[in-house]
Amino acid sequence: MRLASRAMQAAMVAVLVGGLATRNFTWVPAAVLSMFISALPIVLKRNLRLVLPVELNFWIVLALFLHVVGGFSGFYDEVPGWDHITHMMSASLIAALGFVVVVTMDKYVESIRLPRAFLAFFIVMFTMAIGVMWELMEFANDQLAGSRLQYSLDDSMIDLLFDAFGGLVVAAVGAHYLTHTTVDRFVESLQVDTAKERISEIVRRRRD
Amino acid sequence: MGSGGMGPGPLSSYPPEKIVEAELSWISSVVLFYSTIYVVLKIDVLWAAFGIAALSLYVLPIVSMRDPFRALPWEMTILVSLPLLLHISAGSDAMNESVAWWDDLTSLAFAFSLATLGFLLTVELQMYTEVRMNRPFAVFFVVMFTLAVSGFWQIGEYVSDVVFATRNQASNGSAMGTLLWSLVGGVLMGFVYAAYIRAMSEERRRALGFMHLWEVRDWKKG
Repeated sequence: MRLASRAMQAAMVAVLVGGLATRNFTWVPAAVLSMFISALPIVLKRNLRLVLPVELNFWIVLALFLHVVGGFSGFYDEVPGWDHITHMMSASLIAALGFVVVVTMDKYVESIRLPRAFLAFFIVMFTMAIGVMWELMEFANDQLAGSRLQYSLDDSMIDLLFDAFGGLVVAAVGAHYLTHTTVDRFVESLQVDTAKERISEIVRRRRD
Repeated sequence: MGSGGMGPGPLSSYPPEKIVEAELSWISSVVLFYSTIYVVLKIDVLWAAFGIAALSLYVLPIVSMRDPFRALPWEMTILVSLPLLLHISAGSDAMNESVAWWDDLTSLAFAFSLATLGFLLTVELQMYTEVRMNRPFAVFFVVMFTLAVSGFWQIGEYVSDVVFATRNQASNGSAMGTLLWSLVGGVLMGFVYAAYIRAMSEERRRALGFMHLWEVRDWKKG
């Protein structure tokens, strides 16, 4: 999985280089941004010792890869449903990251307790809300900058449908996952404790 | 819960202003009840689900405490039922045709109603389940809930348009408009409710069973 991640990152670099060489700049900013985002887990691990699950890392890179490389190859216009596939990928990604954050909050924030069923419910709501905000952003972009991100009512509604689906899947998988492991053990595997120490150490060093 | 022993006494033991408040709430809920029956009979699936969900949240504290004075504050009951009333009223239809911003107004009323339901959900989840939230999380939940339900609602309207050939959605622009008002209304009401519960007198909070809300002092994680 790690090898596949690296290969996909290399492909994004290729989009960057290819875009610059052929003077086809549309996807260059997206490629640069995606490279930074896909490098984030590595930075987190090196500087904070925060370890995201391998599957999650892979998912992050895959979603960015499909967006950038697919976009560069013109799949958004040529492959029917490409837009919806990338939507579902990013929605499930948001849901998974939301899951990690909420589970961590459940463990560390004293005044919060979120049982498993509620956690799943919340993940679905959270993903859908982010999906709605995304559509609103596309809509605003179309209105203000004159782009054509939303093709039609069907397009934006099916986007939302896929967002909902992605959220539901992650909520189900997450709830199932927590039946096999406890919240404590999951958060431990992320090494949030050491990350917390790291952060307070960095803050202390800044202050001195 | 909490107050204990303050069951439904004779009506005369309640101060008159409290009775008026509760009556306002009951009247609003009766309006909500008959509106819900109306949309159920019309097999208006989305609104029927909305009405039934709202009624369940309204009735739950009353039934579980066996105290009609545990009714939801009247201002919240009105906020909840308003969009349903607007939906079934012929007057609102007429306004929609003559006034350009009427649609925005009903969308905003819908957002307020959803946010109120989300808020109620945070209250009742803390009353009846293991769920505990602090204020920032509850505000966040209200905003997310409003946006998400509004999104699911749009999907529902869309599916109904495609499958049953109804005509709910005029265009992409109008659907996005509704969602935009949900964002505005949700964020607004999230903060309004945070302020509302802070401003509410302790006596009223106790009377309504809102005591457990957000400020859980005597609760330890275990």
